Amino acid sequence: MNQNSFSPKARWDRFEPEKSGFNPDALNERIEVLALFKQARIFPKSFLWHDKEYIIETITYNWQERIGQALINYFSVSCAAQIYQISFDNSTFRWQIDKLIQ
Amino acid sequence: MISRVSGTLVSLSMILHIDMDAFFASIEEAINPRLKGKPLIVGSRGNRMHTVVCAANYAAKALGIHSGMPTKRAYSIYSKLEFVAADQAKYIWTSEQIFELLKGFNLPLNYASIDEFQLDLSGCPSPNPVSLGKEIKAQIYAKFNITASVGIAKNWLLAKLASKLNKPDGLTLIDDSNFEQALRKASLDKLCGMGGKAGQILIAKGMKTCWDLYLNLPEFINNNPGKFDENPGKSSEKPKSVSHSYTLPRGQINPQVIQAWIRLLSEMVSVRLRQQDLTSATVHLWLNGPGIGDFVAQKTHQTPTNDGYEVYQRALKIMTKLSHRTPRIRAIGVTCSGLFWSNYQPLLSEEVRREGLIQAIDRINNRFGEGVIYPAITVLTR
Repeated sequence: MNQNSFSPKARWDRFEPEKSGFNPDALNERIEVLALFKQARIFPKSFLWHDKEYIIETITYNWQERIGQALINYFSVSCAAQIYQISFDNSTFRWQIDKLIQ
Repeated sequence: MISRVSGTLVSLSMILHIDMDAFFASIEEAINPRLKGKPLIVGSRGNRMHTVVCAANYAAKALGIHSGMPTKRAYSIYSKLEFVAADQAKYIWTSEQIFELLKGFNLPLNYASIDEFQLDLSGCPSPNPVSLGKEIKAQIYAKFNITASVGIAKNWLLAKLASKLNKPDGLTLIDDSNFEQALRKASLDKLCGMGGKAGQILIAKGMKTCWDLYLNLPEFINNNPGKFDENPGKSSEKPKSVSHSYTLPRGQINPQVIQAWIRLLSEMVSVRLRQQDLTSATVHLWLNGPGIGDFVAQKTHQTPTNDGYEVYQRALKIMTKLSHRTPRIRAIGVTCSGLFWSNYQPLLSEEVRREGLIQAIDRINNRFGEGVIYPAITVLTR
């Protein structure tokens, strides 16, 4: 196995100064999520945001990011023709809605 | 699409090259299916008019939009372009997951870049490399909903070329029977290393296709490794240099802000040196701006370092060579070369203290996330 030729983890490459400023698309609000944990994977089924329930029809994509010791699981989910990005922080067990994608 | 399928293959070496199709843009299309088929660009930064295209999907490429192009120019070509700001975390995660998936094939594997992988099929008992290529493409699509193009040939240069010949979602085998035909079909700029000045010089000499190059310089195509280094010793793993660069959203004249960027880039380079247990004797500084063009200078010191502050100080000394006192700077790069394996043992109490401080900062950033603790001056870059 030869992984030395390329390392995808050029750590500070992910640093993006613009992210620190005001981002009108960012929501970063806490939500309540009903999720299925199956075979070491997470499948969010619905979430409650501003007292309204959103039924997740499809998880269009999911990915992870390690931030220090925390592992963040991201999901792009579609609910009634709208796509949202939600995330789960395994160090705090906190779910949040990150942004509206569409 | 399969351009060539061979039933039996007798070859001493064989490389299978996997090249993801418009990787970042494809992931964004998978996330948001509404974008599929529409001209889409992924911008390096969130400000859609003040950044560069870091990826374009095939609909945008068909309009002449390509990576590296300023977004302003891309919008002047097509004003209704869809835009998504790049989010490296998801691209890195997907790339790593594809690498993990490929490990499952139990073949020598090379991580060539974030969207390119190579499998060494030399001596592989697999009945047919084309079947293997199809299987890999199918697994990637099933898991990530994105496509890859596969090239198979006797060495990595040809395999990489083959992967480009039928993009997107292609599968191309170059063997003895279609070698000439494939090379005649491929323009020279498709060959790795021929996109820049070298390619322009050869094209000026009348070499338009890869076949022309083969007729004139057969060793260029033949003398590429068909196998991976089976025993990569520590010395062969050491990179030649480590660098980071950044293009500012607009020209910057404030010397403090410029210094802050040099400090940040120096720290980023030094973190990577320390992660690889390396020290560097030579610091290069690259500055670009409308009044100075490209300013590149370097200085080699007797004592190698991997301390970000020291690299910064050395870069600042190089900057004094700049004749212009208050240049407008658009892009900055810091590179460390002259690399050695770190065996530095601090003796003076001040050095011991400094070493302890660096280790503490690294531990904090490793635990809580990169950039959690940072040099104060770099606040000016935010």
